[in-house]
Amino acid sequence: MFAFAGKKLIQLIVTTIGVVTLVFFTLRLIPGDAASAMAGDTLSGEALERLRDQMGLNEPLMSQYLTYWRKLLVLDFGETITTGLSAGELMRAAAPITISIALATIVVTVLLAIPLGTLAAFLAHKGKKGLDSLITGAAMVLDLMPSFWTGLFFLLFFSLTLGLFPASGTVSLENPGHFLQRIALPVMVLSVTQVATMARITRTAVLEVLSEDYIRTARSLGWSELRVLFRHALKNAALPIVTVVGLSFGSLLNGTVIVEFIFNIPGIGSLLVNGINSRDYQMVQNLIIVYALIFVTINFVTDLVYRKIDPRVSF
Amino acid sequence: MSMTGSAVLFSPAHPFPRVRGKFMQFLSNQKTQIGLLILVPILVLVVLAPYLPLQKPLQTNLRAMMQWPSWTFPFGTDRMGRDVLSRTLEGVKVSLLVGFSVAFISLAFGVVLGTIAGFFGRFVDRAIMTVVDILLAFPSLLLAIGLVSIVGTGIFPVIVAIAFADVPRFVRLQRSLVLGLRTRAFIDAARTMRASKTWLLFRHIVPNTIAPLLVAASIAAANAILVEASLSFLGLGIMPPEPSLGNIIRDGQTYLEQAWWISTLPGAVILAIAISLHFLSDGIRESLDPRART
Repeated sequence: MFAFAGKKLIQLIVTTIGVVTLVFFTLRLIPGDAASAMAGDTLSGEALERLRDQMGLNEPLMSQYLTYWRKLLVLDFGETITTGLSAGELMRAAAPITISIALATIVVTVLLAIPLGTLAAFLAHKGKKGLDSLITGAAMVLDLMPSFWTGLFFLLFFSLTLGLFPASGTVSLENPGHFLQRIALPVMVLSVTQVATMARITRTAVLEVLSEDYIRTARSLGWSELRVLFRHALKNAALPIVTVVGLSFGSLLNGTVIVEFIFNIPGIGSLLVNGINSRDYQMVQNLIIVYALIFVTINFVTDLVYRKIDPRVSF
Repeated sequence: MSMTGSAVLFSPAHPFPRVRGKFMQFLSNQKTQIGLLILVPILVLVVLAPYLPLQKPLQTNLRAMMQWPSWTFPFGTDRMGRDVLSRTLEGVKVSLLVGFSVAFISLAFGVVLGTIAGFFGRFVDRAIMTVVDILLAFPSLLLAIGLVSIVGTGIFPVIVAIAFADVPRFVRLQRSLVLGLRTRAFIDAARTMRASKTWLLFRHIVPNTIAPLLVAASIAAANAILVEASLSFLGLGIMPPEPSLGNIIRDGQTYLEQAWWISTLPGAVILAIAISLHFLSDGIRESLDPRART
């Protein structure tokens, strides 16, 4: 386990270096340079030159790159050019909101999707085709619903018509009750897609296991269907399910950008969209890196859990 | 569906499928038919749109602002009195263009790079896969968002951005397919008969990866349509007044309470297209890959 984790950790570090390098150099491909793209037509020659100096764009490329690393390692993200606020502080305020939404979605998803998928597999196994195809059909449609569309529906129905959840207002962890009310709809919207994906995978995985010999043995011992299903079948079907939880985290992060936009949530997704609209390339660069790091870290954890469940796994 | 038909496709002696027979098999598949049943009417409407008694997509009509869906305006009108259905059909055109271009571009690059990585191995494989792994570290929509911030807005930049985010997935798929085929018995057999590398590659390996690649490509098209809509919805993709399903929905968001139809109906069309492409991909899989049949 130790050697395995070490190997995966090295991979994580290599990927991180790659991600930072790639983002850094891609951003230097902007026609003109970041400073003139940012300023548009608003700055004259001299002011533009000062902005370049301020952004360090007049240094040689390699030294810019090394400076960027030096700052990144101490989590110094500089200042946003447009407002002059500390980019690091903005991100530190925004990140917990996005991460809470993502984690809450995972919890809701696991609680709903695993029983639903197991149920569908059980029905399919028992030959109850109608109910099974109803669940799988619904899962397919829900899976493909664009999250901004679902989001608008939920906004219209739960917030504007029923008035159950506030659609605007501050979002701060200092007021937990209000915070939960504000993130409830985003979490519901994201859960729709996630539950659908995971229920489908769970169904396939459990269905495969249900025709194994050891399940028949368990049944022949007179154990209840529920016990066989959840203690034996589900446990053995856990591997693909864990993989999917890890992989779907990517689509979950994609989704947070959209729901933050719809529900006016000041998470890192909103920072990103605002950053692009105000052409704050340094902010965009940092945020894309942060997203990638969250994603690779989750994949790293998934790999470890996978290995923990199935010691045969080696890479 | 006879077993001999599929056996011919995957046997080494006839690496090229009898295309016509395969195509008929694809058409007679039930999932294909469901997919076509959804997609074809939409396509017909898109093609016929200029000849239908609809207001032009960009034409405003101040006497018919935010009107409920009716016979004259089946999808209602927006805040400037523009016909939502005619805008939606124009948006579908853009969506399909984006979807198929992205699928085609990522398929082309994926096949070439994936085959090289899988077949030649060693250093080239390492180099390609290192880059692929780094690119896969970005959630796809976020990578597209980042790229759009560099290449700009509009149809062509959006296609480039989404395809770029998709290529690594295809490279990985193709590489694993090639690696899987390399150890198969019929490849060994061909090798013992002193088949050249080029022969092995173009006669045996690449043709056998076509079926799974087509399945992945139609899913990628559906995905690209959703990503384009998301980008345009965020205001980072295709910009108004050029209609795209995403920006029509974005437009309607402000008037959600007064005019729900502006946002919801075009969204239903996106969903329908995505569902149809998924059915078509199932149809391809079931008719081309004998092992997938259930």
